[in-house]
Amino acid sequence: MSAVLELRGVCKRFGGIVVADDVALDLDRGQILGLIGPNGAGKTSLFNLISGVVPLDAGEIRIEGRNLAGRKLHERARMGVARTWQNMRLFQTMTVLENMVVAPREYAGESIARLVFAPGAVRRAVAESCDKALAILDRMHLAHLADSPVTDLPFGQQKLVGLARALMNDGPCLLLDEPMAGVEGQAYDTMKEIVRQEAAAGRAVCVVEHNISFIKDLCTSAVFMSFGRILERGSVAELLASRTLAELYFGA
Amino acid sequence: MEYLATILILVGINVMLAASFNLIIGKAGLASIAHPIFYALGAYTSGLLAIHTGLNAVAATLAGGAVAALFSLMMSLPSLRVAGDYLMITSIGFQLGLLQVIKNLEFTGSQGGLSNIPTPVSGPERAFVFCVIALAAAAVTLAAIRWIVRGPYGRAINAMRDDELAFQALGRNATRIKIVIFAIGCGIAGIAGGLYAFYFQYVSPEQFEILASGTMLTMVVVGGMGSTWGPVVGALILVALPQAITFLNLPPSFMAPVQGMIFTLLVILFLFLRPQGLVPPEPPAPLAHRPADREGKGAR
Amino acid sequence: MLDTGVLAQILWTGLATSSYMVLFTVAFALVLKVVKLWNFAQAGMMAIAFYAMHAALARFGWPTPAAVAFGFAVTLAATLALEVWGLRVLRARGSSGLFFFIFTLVCSEFAAFALTLVFGTEPVPLFPQILSPTRIVAGIAVSDWDLMAVSVTLALCAALALWLRLSRDGQFMVAVSDNAALAELYGINARRAYLAAFAIATVFVCAGMYVYGSRTAVIPTAPLNLMVFAVVATLLGGMGNVFGAAGAAVVLSLLQSYSVLVIPSQWQNLLLYGFLFVTILFFPRGVPLDRLRAIFRRAQA
Repeated sequence: MSAVLELRGVCKRFGGIVVADDVALDLDRGQILGLIGPNGAGKTSLFNLISGVVPLDAGEIRIEGRNLAGRKLHERARMGVARTWQNMRLFQTMTVLENMVVAPREYAGESIARLVFAPGAVRRAVAESCDKALAILDRMHLAHLADSPVTDLPFGQQKLVGLARALMNDGPCLLLDEPMAGVEGQAYDTMKEIVRQEAAAGRAVCVVEHNISFIKDLCTSAVFMSFGRILERGSVAELLASRTLAELYFGA
Repeated sequence: MEYLATILILVGINVMLAASFNLIIGKAGLASIAHPIFYALGAYTSGLLAIHTGLNAVAATLAGGAVAALFSLMMSLPSLRVAGDYLMITSIGFQLGLLQVIKNLEFTGSQGGLSNIPTPVSGPERAFVFCVIALAAAAVTLAAIRWIVRGPYGRAINAMRDDELAFQALGRNATRIKIVIFAIGCGIAGIAGGLYAFYFQYVSPEQFEILASGTMLTMVVVGGMGSTWGPVVGALILVALPQAITFLNLPPSFMAPVQGMIFTLLVILFLFLRPQGLVPPEPPAPLAHRPADREGKGAR
Repeated sequence: MLDTGVLAQILWTGLATSSYMVLFTVAFALVLKVVKLWNFAQAGMMAIAFYAMHAALARFGWPTPAAVAFGFAVTLAATLALEVWGLRVLRARGSSGLFFFIFTLVCSEFAAFALTLVFGTEPVPLFPQILSPTRIVAGIAVSDWDLMAVSVTLALCAALALWLRLSRDGQFMVAVSDNAALAELYGINARRAYLAAFAIATVFVCAGMYVYGSRTAVIPTAPLNLMVFAVVATLLGGMGNVFGAAGAAVVLSLLQSYSVLVIPSQWQNLLLYGFLFVTILFFPRGVPLDRLRAIFRRAQA
């Protein structure tokens, strides 16, 4: 059975800076892969390459065997690549529920033609999305905030909403960019639990994180990046025990 | 009475122009100043169809709208493919370039304009009939735009304006939405052009110059970008101000530039002092959903 | 059959005519490069520059150098006011590109209206006498205006190139245009670079309007049309490449001049908009000269 997400020979440079240097990666169902490394190692850039924010210079990315080459951002999301952002990128003028309702892979309200000729179907689809969104919010104990503007929420809950929004995409691949940054207490535990649930349900999850305890607790395996290259891969315990990595990460 | 009817007709046409322009720049956030040229395309198309093919006024006006919408694709498809501010630049080129074509083609009456457009209604009630039609068209336009903007499509547009990158990464085709909104907005401007052509029976290229974009911007910026009633307020101001200026008894050669100065100055003042305009935007309809659980367990 | 004499004449006259286009284009491209702004207020700047010089010459009767200096001073004041009271506020607010677009364009429109009010819509040149003494050099008619236009343009462009390359402030400006945030970290003042860019643009705009206005009569709405040329040339030359834009301006101008051989003159202007379209469709990031050169070399091998 092939991996959900496959990267082969992925290369990208911006001017003189190499952000991806012959990167190869496999992400399987049920796996929670930790992507660790110092700042500027190319971790978020890798997510940008996978989700389609920037095009590849060379290499191949496949999701469920299908090549993502030439596919635009929105097409990749529809093919099942869901992601969160380092700076959340929530829709500031909208409520929590509204943020989530526009987030499923197919959004009925996106087509004017359907709105005009099949308004009933659109209404039903939106209602279904609402139910799905509330179910996700229930899991996070946030359902009572569904109609709150996202700007009213404290930081930790906003981050949870960001994750909830990404979960509206029921695709196989979930990319989380520093989901724990600045999050603590109940929100932290909730997020960990949700990620565990998603992986258990068969998603392939990749997490960029600096929070070592999160990586230790949650990730099934990890990959260390530096200057665009994957230096080591293996179990979390192996990586954390490696002296060379400790030097690179914490040292000189 | 005919004077009042003409004023109301102009209000109706301006409401259509302002509402459609507002849809494009206020709701979808597209930077375009080419609205006058789509107004022109509608006016010239319906006028020419009426003169040369004897097509009835309703069909000709709708054809004008369709032509305007089609031309909008010529503008939006190439420039929206490229990321960035290309639509803005294309719109300037389109506005100036197409106007040059119109001014130089004999077919469109060149500099002198298109005259003797046959009118569908004649007789003493002519002004009244057109008044009703124009105001009805304006009402329909406002209702249609409001319906689009308050529903799920409007929610998508708001999200797109808030953060286009995140919006696209969720699977939404932002480019297609922009192209469609632009076509709808330009199509409405085209229909307004048809209305103008059939009432005034004379269309000249001067009224569609790039400076006309100043008046349209005034309506949208001062009225309120992104609101439903803002364009109405803007249209009323636009028709009322020139009337007020006539009371200053300026020599005729001063009227146009003074009017232009007042309008552009208003835009600048509002841009800085009250960017949301006179009428703030209304939020979309709240999402109807099943009652959420009260006070989620353990959430702090 | 086309006479080489005619072709050569068109070449010379076309080059001379391209001079003011180059000046307008450099101004526009420089502001875009440094301030990252599509300065649609440049049309307003151009109009103000012209009419200030015209007023000084025709109304106050000042000698030419004083009139040019006056034109420069007035335009500079207007431009700096635009930047300090207008653009800086919008920038601080985090306004979207749409607001900058509307603001700069409406400023140009306001200027056009105000100038129409004061000066009317009659076309006026800078000097009462447009025709300039001509001599024949190697079979080509060369007028004093031609020589003035070309020399002013070459001198200003050379001065700018040297200043950007060799002077400290010039190098700072290049640094800011590459990466303003990074430059600030190194202690380079982005605001000063913006002001300097606008000041230089004003110089080029005034020079351009002097060259243009000493040969053509101007109406207040003329600069808006002239500005489209600068926009197209900037796009073709590659945004961020000021001298590439200047080169594109020359090429476009020559194409327009030669086009008179094949199309009626009233359609010449249209050629420009056609170019705008082709540029947006095929060269949105500018004509990739290095790629074309590589393809050419490969084709030869």
